[in-house]
Amino acid sequence: MLSQIQTLVREVDGRYATDAELMFLQDYLKTARLRFSAYQKIQKAEKDIIQQVKQKLKLADPNLLVRGKVDLSVKWHRDTVRVLRYCAHALLISDEEGLEESFLLWFQSIMRSFKAQHSCDITYKVMQDIVRQHLTPQEAELFCPILAQARLLLGQ
Amino acid sequence: MDTPSAHSHKLRQHYPQKHNHYNFSDFFQFNKPEGSITDWNGSRNILTSEDFIIGLLEGLEEEVGAASAAVMYSIGLEWGKQDSLFFDQWFEREYNVSPQQANLMFLLETWWWPFTAQGWGRWEIDMADRTQGFMFINLFDSAVARTLGDVGKPVCYLYAGLFAGFFTEMVRKQLSCIEIQCYSMGETYCKFLLGAKERIDAAAFWLNEGATASDIEKRLRSGDSL
Repeated sequence: MLSQIQTLVREVDGRYATDAELMFLQDYLKTARLRFSAYQKIQKAEKDIIQQVKQKLKLADPNLLVRGKVDLSVKWHRDTVRVLRYCAHALLISDEEGLEESFLLWFQSIMRSFKAQHSCDITYKVMQDIVRQHLTPQEAELFCPILAQARLLLGQ
Repeated sequence: MDTPSAHSHKLRQHYPQKHNHYNFSDFFQFNKPEGSITDWNGSRNILTSEDFIIGLLEGLEEEVGAASAAVMYSIGLEWGKQDSLFFDQWFEREYNVSPQQANLMFLLETWWWPFTAQGWGRWEIDMADRTQGFMFINLFDSAVARTLGDVGKPVCYLYAGLFAGFFTEMVRKQLSCIEIQCYSMGETYCKFLLGAKERIDAAAFWLNEGATASDIEKRLRSGDSL
């Protein structure tokens, strides 16, 4: 939404905005309560979400977070917390565009540097299932597409 | 384009550990009283139009003719060497680790991100042949080629020099670079070959003989030389 507001301010120069141009604000207001509640739930459940995702990853592939003799769990934990927080922030302000521009594109290049696309792909797929356990279906409907966006960019 | 400046970046002072600072409003700082633009790493930046790039290239060509390509390459080379030294400083300051200790791909991506933020395009490095002494760089949205459009020949000499200069300084070994495929030849992206001078000379010869980027890749991988 912040990106859309910036675009609106730039484009509606010296005139009033049309109804169509203001539609995104109406949409935001309709979902604002859900966004706030989901954001607060994610914030409170962050530790559990990360732990549950990790457990599920280990069950699916015990060697996913191991490279040779190096255990990548700590690094994975740090990266995953960071992505979850940025995604939650994007949910709160409804700004997927800003998420991609300010974070995901940069992080994509970093994940590629460390050849972490495969673990990212699985992590953010599993995370969508886990957050559904912590959110209402309506809240998850808003948040899961953001995690899917993270999966798409970081997983390839 | 950027040159070192005394202006420090206020956002960086507040958030020195923020690494994803490459969107327009984070990366650039507009110092209105001075009328200057500083970036996250403290370099002075100027905004230029496509007309400026055309003017620079055409003006140079008018002055020195065919040698303009070599002049642009030399400018890039010197820029790359100096930027390598500048990069060493800000990388270590930002990540608290020396460039020599960092993961190579991470290091290179980190070097290129300011260029991406400045509008020089995104890149992709292909290091599969590094042990053979050469590597390829794909460049998407070259500022020079995008400006000149389809002119039927490679035009990104500045970039070729920049890559040669940076990598020469980084590996402490004389390297050359040539653009073997360009957006200005009607291709979808630009491709550069980086390696020792004799390899680059061979590639330049094949290119003159009409070889494509893919031909050159095949010949290099099969160990062909002049």
